[in-house]
Amino acid sequence: MKDCKMAAYLSHHQKVLRLYKKSLRHLESWCIFRDKYRFYACLLRARFDENKAEKDMVKATMLLKAGEEEFWSNQHPQPYIFPDSPGGTSYERYECYKVPEWMLDHWHPSEKAMYPDYFSKREQWKKLRLQSWDVAQLEAETPADGPRTEALPPARQEGDLPPLWWQFVTRPRERPM
Amino acid sequence: MHPTSLMMTTSLMTIFLLLAYPVLTTLSPAPRAADWALTQVKAAVKLAFFVSLLPLFLFMNEGVEAIITSWNWMNTLTFDVNLSLKFDHYSIIFVPIALYVTWSILEFAAWYMHADPFMNRFFKYLLVFLIAMVVLVTANNMFQLFIGWEGVGIMSFLLIGWWYGRADANTAALQAVVYNRVGDIGLILAMAWMATNLNSWEMQQMFVTAKNFDLTLPLLGLIVAATGKSAQFGLHPWLPSAMEGPTPVSALLHSSTMVVAGIFLLIRMSPLIENNPAALTLCLCLGALTTLFTATCALTQNDIKKIVAFSTSSQLGLMMVTIGLNQPQLAFLHICTHAFFKAMLFLCSGSIIHSLNDEQDIRKMGGMHHLTPVTSSCLTIGSLALTGTPFLAGFFSKDPIIEALNTSHLNAWALTLTLLATSFTAVYSLRVVFFVSMGHPRFNTFSPINENNPMVVNPIKRLAVGSIIAGLLITSNVIPLKTPVMSMPPLLKLAALTVTILGLMVALELASLTNKQLKTTPTLAPHHFSNMLGFFPPIIHRFTPKLNLVLGQTIANQLIDQTWLEKAGPKALVSSNIPLITTTSNAQQGMIKTYLALFLLTLTFAALLVSY
Repeated sequence: MKDCKMAAYLSHHQKVLRLYKKSLRHLESWCIFRDKYRFYACLLRARFDENKAEKDMVKATMLLKAGEEEFWSNQHPQPYIFPDSPGGTSYERYECYKVPEWMLDHWHPSEKAMYPDYFSKREQWKKLRLQSWDVAQLEAETPADGPRTEALPPARQEGDLPPLWWQFVTRPRERPM
Repeated sequence: MHPTSLMMTTSLMTIFLLLAYPVLTTLSPAPRAADWALTQVKAAVKLAFFVSLLPLFLFMNEGVEAIITSWNWMNTLTFDVNLSLKFDHYSIIFVPIALYVTWSILEFAAWYMHADPFMNRFFKYLLVFLIAMVVLVTANNMFQLFIGWEGVGIMSFLLIGWWYGRADANTAALQAVVYNRVGDIGLILAMAWMATNLNSWEMQQMFVTAKNFDLTLPLLGLIVAATGKSAQFGLHPWLPSAMEGPTPVSALLHSSTMVVAGIFLLIRMSPLIENNPAALTLCLCLGALTTLFTATCALTQNDIKKIVAFSTSSQLGLMMVTIGLNQPQLAFLHICTHAFFKAMLFLCSGSIIHSLNDEQDIRKMGGMHHLTPVTSSCLTIGSLALTGTPFLAGFFSKDPIIEALNTSHLNAWALTLTLLATSFTAVYSLRVVFFVSMGHPRFNTFSPINENNPMVVNPIKRLAVGSIIAGLLITSNVIPLKTPVMSMPPLLKLAALTVTILGLMVALELASLTNKQLKTTPTLAPHHFSNMLGFFPPIIHRFTPKLNLVLGQTIANQLIDQTWLEKAGPKALVSSNIPLITTTSNAQQGMIKTYLALFLLTLTFAALLVSY
């Protein structure tokens, strides 16, 4: 996976692959039974494979455009979306139960007493956290009058994790219970 | 006091106390038991159900009805507002049914929501909703009905938005509130008219004094209120969106109890409606349109809950048609039988959804009959009851409605729409059963799917028993308020059954065509119309705000700025004076001949005036 870089523009290859995948997904929404879906999916794959050796980029782009238009006119108005995907029925359903990590500081002492090992080391853990290199890097790289974008800078040294990885690591569980 | 009415009154007040007690205990700061929801709330509702059977049996045996006025709330010299409970034919039958259905749903919800950290709050909300519903149903005056009406609306908002981290759930909750509010405008209009013209909100006084009035305006208000609450065409989009809430909420509120509040209001006001042909026709046509439109939308939906939601909306349209036929008791019977099988359909859907790890799309279900035989059997029973299969619950209410529609000479168009909707009911019911229960599974293997938990199976079984025998029980034991039409040609009598069978045959043919999949996409235009819900939500949800914004912009620009500055203010002075100035100064250019001509002209006019 070392070559997958995100760029500002999609290549033709990426566009074709995206068209193929979404066509397959919408075909799946139309053809409910798997054996019929498999039949039409093979036909679709054959249609894509017919032109895969096309070297003329103008013609290839025209084919892609025609493909996108055909997709647009034949798309399913309610495509199948996985329940946890954006637009699905249980997407973000448990957001209201997700609690950030700093709430642990607000627990009642009787509740903290249920986990003595963890809480005895927690202050030390927080000190280590503040001394972590990524906070220092972020403070060093942020301009004086505030950050310009929301994008975080990448790790500058070999083998490092990106800044604020702590918040990602200590994020709430996907299904909070 | 007569012992019968004493027993009646006592049991009815006991029901209120039993339901209110768990809610009141939540006000104390002491922490609640972990199983408070099951032991307190469900037990309270179950006990209240058994207590409510006593007035029901007294009513069935002796025909006892009671009106209890217990508290003078706001009494002026001319206007009284009391806490007044009416236990007549309608509320005595509805309250046990609502409590029975709620009991089953609460037991199911204890399983469905067991992993939810705020399950106790969920049960509290459901209980507050139930209390508001009972207040609405037993209200003897419009004010109390309004309290119940708003109460169920607010609880609906809170329960639809239960998972408030989800944007769609918040949108759906807001949608429910806004559409219900539009309906409330009608209700408040009707209440205001009644307060000013009939000088009372008490039902008995209203029915007596309204005889000499033209009631079109308040009845229109009531019909608008029912349109909002009962999701009739025009104010219906909130009901399918309300499926964002957890399945127990959909089962209780948006199928059995809350959505029938609008129809119940019209049933209560039926003595006022029955003499107003305009209101009756409006109900008939609105109901027919609703039932067909929503049945059409249900045909191509893929979310199991949305199909059942549209089915609910279609049946509500049918109830509205019945009101339009001046048969409120048939509408009420349909409310009662519908509660059973619709709640059961939702519970079966919830059981299947939970087993499949929150999968709601019927395209990814299948073969559930092997995995959850009880649930899928009850799904089939519920669907059969919904379509009006002879001698199940739905038959006893749906068939008389269609017969009454056939034998009335009112509106052939409404009849056509309703019969078409009845056949569509069979189509989408078969579609659900076909994709969910039959065939092979179209999902990956998950954690073992079973029905070992009695908390799932027992409520569904209970409601299945209700779906089978409720129609027979109610029609055998309760004297109808109006004589039903008895004699008609066989074709009219069998019309509903024929149309349903035709729909079933069409559905089977469509299912076999789906199995063959001769082409990838169906005919797109009708499919898109049905799937996108007639394009009604996108149009209305964009058109109305756009209209408001354009109006606001026009007011801000043209009314305020332009009026005060240009038309009425400084610029107006300028623009009105400059032409005068220009004309006057142009006339005075120093041209003698012009002056002389004008002078002679004026002289001639003056001379003519003097001489005449």
